Amino acid sequence: MSVCTVNGREHQLEERETVARLLERLGFTGPYALVERNGEPVDRADYSRVVLELGDKVLVARPVAGG
Amino acid sequence: MNRSDFLEIAGRQFSSRLLVGTGKYESLEVMAQAVAASGTELVTVAVRLVDFDDRARDLTSHLPDDLMLLPNTAGAKTAEDAVRVARLARAGGLPDWIKLEVIPDPRNLLPDPVGTLEAAETLVADGFTVLPYMFPDPLLARRLEEVGCATVMPLAAPIGSGRGLKLRESIAIMIEEARVPVVVDAGLGAPSDAAAAMELGADAVLVNTAIARAGDPVAMAEGFRLAVEAGRRGFLAGVMEPQLAEPSSPLTGLVGAS
Repeated sequence: MSVCTVNGREHQLEERETVARLLERLGFTGPYALVERNGEPVDRADYSRVVLELGDKVLVARPVAGG
Repeated sequence: MNRSDFLEIAGRQFSSRLLVGTGKYESLEVMAQAVAASGTELVTVAVRLVDFDDRARDLTSHLPDDLMLLPNTAGAKTAEDAVRVARLARAGGLPDWIKLEVIPDPRNLLPDPVGTLEAAETLVADGFTVLPYMFPDPLLARRLEEVGCATVMPLAAPIGSGRGLKLRESIAIMIEEARVPVVVDAGLGAPSDAAAAMELGADAVLVNTAIARAGDPVAMAEGFRLAVEAGRRGFLAGVMEPQLAEPSSPLTGLVGAS
């Protein structure tokens, strides 16, 4: 099984796991998942198309309270 | 307020001239009530990594759908950091408007003018509507305008300090010269500070800590709403020039003289 990191933590990838599936598996809720993969932002429209690979470094952010 | 007196930023009209930050409230429920009481149509949000162990509700679920979210780049110490946050936010579906903050100085939280200008140039070229947070330097404001920023947002005093319109004279020069809206951001402590900024001719103000950390944030949000409207009306009406004492009552027909 291949592994990537999500926000610095190891994540066991399913076969052909997409960004959309990753968010689902991690239980992300809310309208704005902000995703970066290996330093490049991923367009929301592509979440169900982009397949994660071994060694990918994924960041998932969201809007939070701030000034 | 005069129905035709809109704040216009990058072609979009707002009837409220008060922008509100969503940070530092004791709860998101109080934040949402304060935002409603403020009458704002534009609120700032920060962008942070998700903690998947924390099942807290999403911030945006507390806010009405017709409120525009303005992501900020708070936490960015360099132009590169700021550009990265802006691109991440836009790709994920947040608006392509960005409150640009490049702040390398953790003590006074003063923005880096060079980094801000660099990031602004990059982001404008990349299609963003850029609202840069800045020290009130009129020449920097001109440079930011020249690279295509939609507003300039000078600080009144350091972020979160509540010290009021300390940089009034510099902000006045900016207002006189600006061709884009001037949004006084950061450091306002009381509604009277917001009124003073608006009387000076600022197009809008952005307030967070002064509302969030007030004894009653919801009532204070309303106080700022009224102050911004009062200050704006005062500005439009034309504030009198200060002068020497001059009696307001007739000097003739005095009862004591007869």
